[in-house]
Amino acid sequence: MTGTRPRVFPEVRSHCPYCAFQCGMTLSVGSDGLPEAKADPSFPVNNGQMCIKGFTSGQLLQRSDRLHHPLKKNVSGSFVKVSWDQALDEISERIINIQRTNGPDSIACFGSGALTNEKAYLLGKFARVALRTRMIDYNGRYCMSSAAAGQNRSFGIDRGLPFPVADIAGAKTVMLWGSNLADTLPPIMQYFERMREAGGRIIVVDPRLTPTARQADLHLQLTPGSDVILANGLLHLAIEMKRIDQTYIRSRTVGFEQVRSAVSRYTPDRVERVCGIGIDKLRQAVIWLSEERSMLLSGRGPEQQIKGVDGVCAMINLMLAMGHVGKPFSGYGTLTGQGNGQGGREHGQKSDQLPGYRSIENLNDRQEIARFWGIPETELPRKGLSAVEMLRSLGQQIRGLLVFGSNVAVATPDSGHVESGLQALDLLVVADSFLNETSQYADFVLPVTQWAEEEGTMTNLEGRVIHRRPLVEPPEGVRTDWWILCELAKRLGRSEQFNFLDVKDIFEELANATRGGPADYSGIDYDKIDRNDGVFWPCPSKDHPGTPRLFADRFFHEDGLARFVPVEHRPAGEMPDQTYPLYLTTGRYKEQYNSGAQTRKVVSLRSARPMPCAQVHPRLAERLGLEEGEPAIVRTRRAAAEFIVQITTDIRPDTIFIPFHYGGKEAVNQLTNPVLDPVSRMPEYKICAARIEPKPTEPDLLEDSDYGQA
Amino acid sequence: MAKRKLVIIGNGMAGAKLLEDLLLRHATRRYSIEVYGEESVPAYNRVLLGRVLAGEDGDAIRFEPSVQDVSDVQFHRGLRVDQIDTMARQLHTSDGQKHPYDLAVISTGSRAFIPRMEGLMTSEGSLKVGVYAYRTLDDAMSIRSAARAGGNAIVLGGGLLGLEGAKVLADSGMHVTVVHLAGHLMERQLDPQAGETLKQRIMDMGLFVRCGRTISRIHGDSSIQGVTLDDGTFLPAEMLVIACGIRPRIDLAQQSGIPVNRGIIVNDTLATAIPGIYAIGECAEHAGQVYGMVQPIFEQCSVLADILSGEKPTSRYRGSRLYARLKIAGVEVASMGVLEPELPDDEVIQITENRKKHYRKLIVRHDRLIGAMFVGDPTGAAAAIQAFDRGEPLPTNRLELLCEPSSSTRKTDRDVCNCKQVRLSVIRQAIQNGCDSVESIAACTGAGTGCGSCRSEISRILNDTQLASVGR
Repeated sequence: MTGTRPRVFPEVRSHCPYCAFQCGMTLSVGSDGLPEAKADPSFPVNNGQMCIKGFTSGQLLQRSDRLHHPLKKNVSGSFVKVSWDQALDEISERIINIQRTNGPDSIACFGSGALTNEKAYLLGKFARVALRTRMIDYNGRYCMSSAAAGQNRSFGIDRGLPFPVADIAGAKTVMLWGSNLADTLPPIMQYFERMREAGGRIIVVDPRLTPTARQADLHLQLTPGSDVILANGLLHLAIEMKRIDQTYIRSRTVGFEQVRSAVSRYTPDRVERVCGIGIDKLRQAVIWLSEERSMLLSGRGPEQQIKGVDGVCAMINLMLAMGHVGKPFSGYGTLTGQGNGQGGREHGQKSDQLPGYRSIENLNDRQEIARFWGIPETELPRKGLSAVEMLRSLGQQIRGLLVFGSNVAVATPDSGHVESGLQALDLLVVADSFLNETSQYADFVLPVTQWAEEEGTMTNLEGRVIHRRPLVEPPEGVRTDWWILCELAKRLGRSEQFNFLDVKDIFEELANATRGGPADYSGIDYDKIDRNDGVFWPCPSKDHPGTPRLFADRFFHEDGLARFVPVEHRPAGEMPDQTYPLYLTTGRYKEQYNSGAQTRKVVSLRSARPMPCAQVHPRLAERLGLEEGEPAIVRTRRAAAEFIVQITTDIRPDTIFIPFHYGGKEAVNQLTNPVLDPVSRMPEYKICAARIEPKPTEPDLLEDSDYGQA
Repeated sequence: MAKRKLVIIGNGMAGAKLLEDLLLRHATRRYSIEVYGEESVPAYNRVLLGRVLAGEDGDAIRFEPSVQDVSDVQFHRGLRVDQIDTMARQLHTSDGQKHPYDLAVISTGSRAFIPRMEGLMTSEGSLKVGVYAYRTLDDAMSIRSAARAGGNAIVLGGGLLGLEGAKVLADSGMHVTVVHLAGHLMERQLDPQAGETLKQRIMDMGLFVRCGRTISRIHGDSSIQGVTLDDGTFLPAEMLVIACGIRPRIDLAQQSGIPVNRGIIVNDTLATAIPGIYAIGECAEHAGQVYGMVQPIFEQCSVLADILSGEKPTSRYRGSRLYARLKIAGVEVASMGVLEPELPDDEVIQITENRKKHYRKLIVRHDRLIGAMFVGDPTGAAAAIQAFDRGEPLPTNRLELLCEPSSSTRKTDRDVCNCKQVRLSVIRQAIQNGCDSVESIAACTGAGTGCGSCRSEISRILNDTQLASVGR
């Protein structure tokens, strides 16, 4: 550590730096002087539970490789320390020059679902008002965009869970579709345990026998990419078995006839054939799901596909037809992934959005926000490129990129292509606490605060706005992202719109900006959050208590009715063929988080999962001569990469699974396919065609080992 | 460039699906499309006829294209095409009109096959009252309204459609006898032993089955009163449902000089030998095969739409792999591929469970599944059909294909401690190794040392395990 130790606050209640469950944690500095995170028993979401990532998060504050100075890359390609003034002056100068030559859209911003609401809001405003660029998007595009678009189509609103997570305990059946939450949201399991004790049951839909699927009463181990067929097929069966709710359909929805006709072709034998799930299991699922108090919760499995939006609508169709949505302990929800994956998608860092979940292509929304920001509506840029499209045009249309809180070089499909794009830029600025795979290509790296060093709000997977509180002051030389944005804006001639005293000041502006939008925060303030352990949006006025449960009386389309959306199956962007005969699917380890930029730095997590393994079925291993623990080459049309083989019956024999938390040569996203959902622009992380073979042994090494054994 | 005129003759499942596939591929940019349908009702999904027989509204099985906007398409409903003048490129329709076309797709489907039987017709030449060919939506509606609890029905034909219909009639309270010409039921999908097992199961449901028999005579003047079988047995009946399969409707093609065999002969592009004329669905014969199931029809439609829309002109139809699944609750039957080994090296794996009335059979050639059938127990059918479709090498132990990991073993192991991710099996092992308190388990495994909320469960596991060992 450098410099004097910063000031330490007494024990604070805050939240975990990682996922959207946002466990309440108490942070303190232990007797040994090291920061310590404990689960907060009084926070009503995690109730004193937390996963290993949360428990070990304090280690992130103690890293010796923490950045304390802005870094600038010199001509020889190595980083040198520079002052904040020099960094910000030079960055803004270069932005101005690039934009002068190439137009405003030549500078792009890339945000993150890890940013607080205040930062997300400010980044969106910075791009539109200070940079005047259309080019802004964020990594939530990789995460929630399909679920968001699907819910908007069906319900007219997108809040991950339309009910508090505690409602799970009151359900009788929960179907978890493409979510391995026993690993990805471990503390949520307490609610499933309670529902099980009360006689409830769990159905898991997943191509893998995950730790979550092991706990299931019924596991539907579908072929990757067959989610729409399964969802439509279950509705087909529900209709045939007379397990739909006609009264509900008549009174609360429109469009059922078209969906009924669309699913009539998804006969059980077709579902069995394509999904690989026996008809008896399909029937069982329909029986359980059609009983009262049923929930369907989806994860990234069905969503990270080129038909992700359709998949979400197909699942919602099923729950609407059975009459579950809006009833107590029932309905559809999506399990948001990133820490602020919910708030991050509401306040305008997405290319097509303005604060409060407004649309940048809607004239009313544009006029309101332009007036609020004090610019003419005509000056407000329109919708720009989505994340993958933006990152694939680096060095061409886009000459400069500012990255906040994301490790795009690891997280983006066909990451090799993105890495060349990053190198082709005239200006790359990365704001992060540590160096990572993306910042190695940066011209400037700006050291920013970590979660326990800053204040702000996050919105968890329930739509509950919560308060992130600081334990320590930032180390010397470290600044917050919002300070950087304000300083750059001033240098770009927009000081009057970026004049904030503190983070509460930004929140107040954000709350006002959302007034009247779908995600209305205007009645929320820090005190209200503190008094109530969080406030659920929409909360349109100071005396409004917030909205824990949506849909009880109405949906958010103008007529108050939900929409049935007829959807059809489409093949994945790439299907197994003679050359690449297997499915490759990607996902998570319990001990790692997202691109691993944080968790790979925590010793106990790193040692639990030091590297990604390629999971294969014993039958496939036998056929191809793959050995447990030995290296193998996995190839796709994008690239080839080496992984250690892990043999397990938990995977289908036609599928390889590799987790995505690792960078460089270990990054599975070198291999994944950058095709996009036509609506959400979500890349297809869950399916591409691949092959795997044992790594050829080098002859001389073989001789050595032969001698060794002799 | 002027649009060319594409006509679809026949608005059944195949015609409707082709139209949908064309619209999805934006074919209206190239063609003005016209559809000629003899029936005045919109297309319906014949696979679901059983539902109508069982009482559902006919509207419920209407086949609506997923493409809603058909404003560019012209429909001629209730108009029959009598001839295609392939030289003048004109359709001659039943109203005496002539309609020019550039491309024509024949999708006239099939009609029910009715075997010759003495006394089938009334003196006026129509089917006797109570005799139905089970084929169309109208047939299903008429059969349904004639079904009476306590009445007697004969179903002629023990294939998929016949058995499904027979079960619905039995469920409505009728005495039902299935009369089947072949030596065993579903002989096109099952071997004799499987057919016999199925027969047992059908009879267990309260139906009667007579195989190797046909009807030689139908009694009654204007209405059926009973039938005499070819062995002389007389069975009283007020209803006879004929489900003896289909015959392609090829009259139009024949009259228009388009080459036919059993069906209209098409190649891998679904083209007939006459330029500009295509055929799909149950009226078409591809590589000697006429298909009577839905999946092949859909596959043909998709290929033809690929070609005609120009979206994928190299698309080809190579024939379909059939998968038959009987839709009767409680009688699971699945069948694919060949029924018997054909080459000396073909392997056969058979599992007979007499008392359970289960029968499963796999036929393997060069490590690949070329046929399989399941009666009673469908476990493994899903895996088998995927192995069959993909031609994947099978596991060395073929029986693995028929096994699914039992759900009980799945459930036993799970994380008890979510914080430190300690599995139930690890905790049990610790108890076996001598840990006798929550504390010692925690010290030994780490379980319960995170948030501590699982400690009560660990204590319960400890108690259960100790009780179990006392019981032993």
